[in-house]
Amino acid sequence: MSRAADQIRPWHQANWDARAAANFIGGGSGSGLLIAGAIAHAAGAPYRALALTALALIAVGLTCVALEIGRPWRALNVFFHPQTSWMTRESLVAVPLFAAGAAALWQDGGAYAWAAAALAAAFLWCQAQILRAAKGIPAWRAPRVVPLILSTGLVEGAGLLAMACALPSSAHALARPVSAALVALLVLRAVVWQMYRARLEAPKRALVALDRAAPLFHRVGNWVAAPLAAIAVLLAPDAVAAPLGAVAGAIAVAAGWQVKFVLVTRAGFNQGFALPHLPVRGSGTPGPSAKPGW
Amino acid sequence: MTRWAMAADLRRCIGCQTCTAACRQANATPPDVQWRTVLDLETGEFPDVRRSFVPVGCMHCGDPPCENVCPTTATKRRADGMVTIDYDLCIGCGYCAVACPYQARHIVHRARFAWSAEPAPNERARFDARRIAVATKCTFCVDRIDAGTAKGLKPGVDPEATPACVNSCIAGALVFGDRDDPASPVAQLLAETEHFRMHEELGTDPGMYYVFDARSRGEAA
Amino acid sequence: MAAKIRKVPEYCYQCVAGPDLLTVKVQDGVATEVEPNFAAAAIHPGGGKCCVKAYGLVQKTYNPHRLAQPMKRSNPRKGRSQDPGFVPISWDEALDLVAGKLGEVRSKGLLDGSGYPRVAASFGGGGTPTYYMGTFPAFLAAWGPIDFSFGSGQGVKCYHSEHLYGELWHRAFTVSPDTPTTEYVLSFGANTEASGGVAGTWRHAEARVRGLKRVQIEPHLSITGAASAEWIPIKPKTDAAFLFGLIHALLHELPRARLDVPFLRVRTGSPYLVGPSGYYLRDPATRKPLMWDVRRASAVAFDTPGAEPALEGRFTVDAVEVGADGEWAHARVEGATAFTRLVEHMAQYTPEWAERVCDIRPGAVRRIAGEYLDHARVGATTVIDGVELPLRPVAIALGKTVTNGWGGYECCWARTLAACLVGALEVPGGTLGTTVRLNRPATSRQASVKAGPDGFMAYPMNPTDREHWAAQPKVRNAYSTLVPLSANSPWSNALGPTHLAWMFRKESPDNWPLVTAPDVWFVYRTNPAISFWDTPAIGERIAEFPFVVAFAYTVDETNWMADVLLPERTDIESTQLIRIGGSKFIEQFWDHEGFALRQPAVVPRGDTRDFTDIATALAARTGLLEKYNEAINRGAAGVALAGDGFDFRLEPKARHSAEEIWDRVCRAASAELTGGAASDGLDWYRDHGYRTRPISRLAWYLYPELVKQGLRFEMPYQERLARSGSELGRRLHSRGIRWWDTQLSEYQALPAYKDFPGIWESHTVAQGGRLEDFPFWLVTSRSMQYAWGANAGIPLMDEMAGNLQGHRGVVINAARARSLDIEEGDLVEVRSTLRATRGPAILREGIRPDTALILGQFEHWATPYAKDMHAPSMNSVTPMALELTDATGSAADLVRVAVRRV
Repeated sequence: MSRAADQIRPWHQANWDARAAANFIGGGSGSGLLIAGAIAHAAGAPYRALALTALALIAVGLTCVALEIGRPWRALNVFFHPQTSWMTRESLVAVPLFAAGAAALWQDGGAYAWAAAALAAAFLWCQAQILRAAKGIPAWRAPRVVPLILSTGLVEGAGLLAMACALPSSAHALARPVSAALVALLVLRAVVWQMYRARLEAPKRALVALDRAAPLFHRVGNWVAAPLAAIAVLLAPDAVAAPLGAVAGAIAVAAGWQVKFVLVTRAGFNQGFALPHLPVRGSGTPGPSAKPGW
Repeated sequence: MTRWAMAADLRRCIGCQTCTAACRQANATPPDVQWRTVLDLETGEFPDVRRSFVPVGCMHCGDPPCENVCPTTATKRRADGMVTIDYDLCIGCGYCAVACPYQARHIVHRARFAWSAEPAPNERARFDARRIAVATKCTFCVDRIDAGTAKGLKPGVDPEATPACVNSCIAGALVFGDRDDPASPVAQLLAETEHFRMHEELGTDPGMYYVFDARSRGEAA
Repeated sequence: MAAKIRKVPEYCYQCVAGPDLLTVKVQDGVATEVEPNFAAAAIHPGGGKCCVKAYGLVQKTYNPHRLAQPMKRSNPRKGRSQDPGFVPISWDEALDLVAGKLGEVRSKGLLDGSGYPRVAASFGGGGTPTYYMGTFPAFLAAWGPIDFSFGSGQGVKCYHSEHLYGELWHRAFTVSPDTPTTEYVLSFGANTEASGGVAGTWRHAEARVRGLKRVQIEPHLSITGAASAEWIPIKPKTDAAFLFGLIHALLHELPRARLDVPFLRVRTGSPYLVGPSGYYLRDPATRKPLMWDVRRASAVAFDTPGAEPALEGRFTVDAVEVGADGEWAHARVEGATAFTRLVEHMAQYTPEWAERVCDIRPGAVRRIAGEYLDHARVGATTVIDGVELPLRPVAIALGKTVTNGWGGYECCWARTLAACLVGALEVPGGTLGTTVRLNRPATSRQASVKAGPDGFMAYPMNPTDREHWAAQPKVRNAYSTLVPLSANSPWSNALGPTHLAWMFRKESPDNWPLVTAPDVWFVYRTNPAISFWDTPAIGERIAEFPFVVAFAYTVDETNWMADVLLPERTDIESTQLIRIGGSKFIEQFWDHEGFALRQPAVVPRGDTRDFTDIATALAARTGLLEKYNEAINRGAAGVALAGDGFDFRLEPKARHSAEEIWDRVCRAASAELTGGAASDGLDWYRDHGYRTRPISRLAWYLYPELVKQGLRFEMPYQERLARSGSELGRRLHSRGIRWWDTQLSEYQALPAYKDFPGIWESHTVAQGGRLEDFPFWLVTSRSMQYAWGANAGIPLMDEMAGNLQGHRGVVINAARARSLDIEEGDLVEVRSTLRATRGPAILREGIRPDTALILGQFEHWATPYAKDMHAPSMNSVTPMALELTDATGSAADLVRVAVRRV
């Protein structure tokens, strides 16, 4: 395709690649796990391993984006615009988040675990808003991208927790309640996805990319994982419930990672150009509107 | 209150890319980095076909999404409408690039030259390492506007104080000036014509107008 | 530390739509930017701007592939597959080599055994290389006979038929609408927005805003079609049918009184009586053509004062007809007015017929005829510089492939006639000529108007009578032998059937002197191995030339066959002063005239030399220094160095530097322009860039001159041409030459429409192809970004072209492509009976389903950068053929092809 043909319809943004997707993946899963971990700990589950995993996920994500920016040695400039920039806010939240997380690790839970969970929620909120504020990418700026990012973050947290419950530990006993929570969150995510997709106004190729991802993400990631988790809660014998819940959790997590990867690196088509009127050329009448690629 | 704005008269534009070349050269952007480009858009079906040429670039919005999202304050909107980038503050995160619905921002991570890996003398003379790995875009030739107004020249009228693309246009399709000064070329053109701004529904308040017809005489629509 | 910045004034004349003015910004000795010369906005018809190509001059200057010093061929074998083995040599050695060869030529005699000049030169570019070759024309003038026959685009890529017929009918080497004043333009493929340059673009943009309606009639939706109010997708080569249908409507359907009857009666040959043999009925005593005076109720000579000539009718007279080589005397013979003959002739060409032939929507021709007549405002007047002139704001523009090849005559005739019918020829708002190159003097169209026979303008036809016909061709394209209209000006040599020179090198036709290879061939700023037809064959022919001297910028496909490469200092590295203003090609209509300079903006790259210095050195080494200097003194550098009250002539026997020569030229120019009041030299022009004085806009219009001299436009009846053609036929037959007979059929006093597409179809079949196997018409169109000036090899131009649809591929109608299982981007092969070319398919709505389009001229294999583009080209698949050549010696960019995915 020539440049001429490429630039008259929306094309895929080329600034944020898999490394940016990794930030939403690590940040979303990690935040979700910090929240899930705090709740599970209150119910008796061990905290440190979960929190360490969660913080590592967030850290990996942030490291990936740090590698993506053009001038990494100036990275501290990222804090300069809290007034309006959700990227600044995400970074500002990350600092106390890691502080609280470190304290919670040291204390193996306690009050700092809740602080970390609250900050994780704020961090997840910032991530969702980062996409929402990206006005140049229709699939990201859709208002319903916020509940999508939030719900999948929570699903991934619960899913990772469900996977942890399959390991021999005092978390084992929580397998059924965690699976139950997973079912509820998966239903929520499924509904949110339907609503996001149904109302989405985006270039044709963005919609195609999302619809290509949907069978895996939605049909399998939501509507196969949820029943599996439900079976784990209701029907599976004790010895099977936890591993079954873990499988459901793994599918739910993978689906969440997949949808965010697709959103950032496959469905990130830009706005393109549009003319509400085509010009008169000397005489005659203006032409009808044109919005190529939509 | 000054609001610098540009108008592209689509009745005149012929897609020749003279403005694209002038901008490339005046701003010494690397190969394929076109702060101003002109689209070649075909609509309709044979034999009822139209073909329009559309100059695009940074719209210097009144409510710029790029400024909103920029984490470093490198991107700033001035009171007079100019949206500027401080290359020394920018960390090249690319957030502004995905925030811009006009695809106006360019980040180049490695120096490139026209003929080979080595710069030609003109490229060596103009190379600016500050512009590597940071966001760049059309500046409405703000340096020319500022230097020109300081000397008492009128942007959009005096070539020395006017953006290079406007100066170069061989069809007279590009016009620049203070939108809020009724005597400016932009204000005068807008007063006589039917025009629109691109993606207005996104609420960006763009500073670039597209003229498509003369103002119709007779009853208002 | 502030950079030292200069803005150096220059001109750009890379293409025939110039010249345009610009400045080059130089920072600490490095050229960095091109800008318009803003000061020139007041005098330049394009707002003082320069087009996208001029911005490539910086890259052109710093092209790392430029030749840095003279080169000599070390491999004696020539051919595409033969690496020339260019080795660097000194200027002394290079010039000695060239001078030595020239010396050999001089000792053998300047003409060879066939009577052709031993020295040939090809410059291409519609003459624009002249504005970059310094005083080299003076060297050529000093040398003696030169053969300019080996075309590098003339007759093939130019408006050839328009050049010749245009100059005949209204001193119009090229034709332009009076854009600033016109309201309605019918454009048959004239691609002004791609090829009309800055002036064309600027004027038409202003006109659009003013409300001009332009109808673009063209097989594909070009840049110009895009910028027009209406697009009519006409079948290739049927434009004459549309025009004939239009004329039919004007003559047969619309009220006669709405035409400009007074103009037809007084300013054209319409009332002249035509006899039974098809020639004018002339007064037996005076031989003047007769017309019927309604008032006297008798036949009178055309120039009888107070006569009221009948526009139409049949009348009985006593007269003589002067035919080819003889005459008839008639008593009581019935003659019809030329206009009546015209009306009857056009009766069969109905709009319905035209629309069928052109394959366009029914109703278009009649509607457009009505619009044309409505906008013509017959009877309106305007005042130009205090002179009242008719105002007729309608014009018809013709583009390439319409104005060359078969059908060119019919189209040019019909266009000129359509203008005459409403009195819109050479008047404000109407159809204007731009300049002359065949008539003289070249500097003034008005001055070139001289009374000729029969009340028309004189025209320096090459004679066709027994006594004076040039039986022996003077140059290899035989222009004076074969093409009476090509006249005998300095340009005529290059305006013959230039592809015949190449063709006849391979195979000589019957009873024709062998077309020999030139002993020495100079080539500059042109690349016929790319920009001609059957280009691989051109390369083979060039490879046969024994000694080729190429003034070279980079290695290219033509100078690959050179023996010596002489790298000149390019556009902004050398010095030259040229004339600007007045009216020049395309749409260069100025209200001023004067001179502009190009000068070294930077230290020249490598060991290159100013062309003027090269010319002087060659002159000195070939013993021609005195003649050379005298040629410069007489004006070979553009200005005569002595005139009324000034004398800056060079000392003829001395060697002068380029600086000195151009300083004197500048002084003479200043003196000429100011009537002797100023005599500023080179330094002044270096600062100011140009100098002009205002001229009257009356210079744009030829009508006042015809009125002043009491002359008529030679329309509609081409009696002179018919006679000329008839005589030419007899002359050729007397030599046993019958292979030009088809061309002779073009000499019709009232041209009939022929199946022009059929000519190309027949040729396809004759080459062994079946039409159904070659279903597409392949055409080409201009790219503003790539064309001329070696711009195909400039990365910035390539980048700019990339923003426009259609470049570097094969444009096909989207639905048609899909029916052939071709998708966007698929590699397709475009094959004629001659050869194939390949490129990615570009699917568009704006093109006829039966047409394919390849923009520009490519398939480079030697030119740096361009050779890596692998862009397809029409030129290698288009044949050169006598059958496809019209009477003026031109053919067209048209061929039947197959398109398939590979």
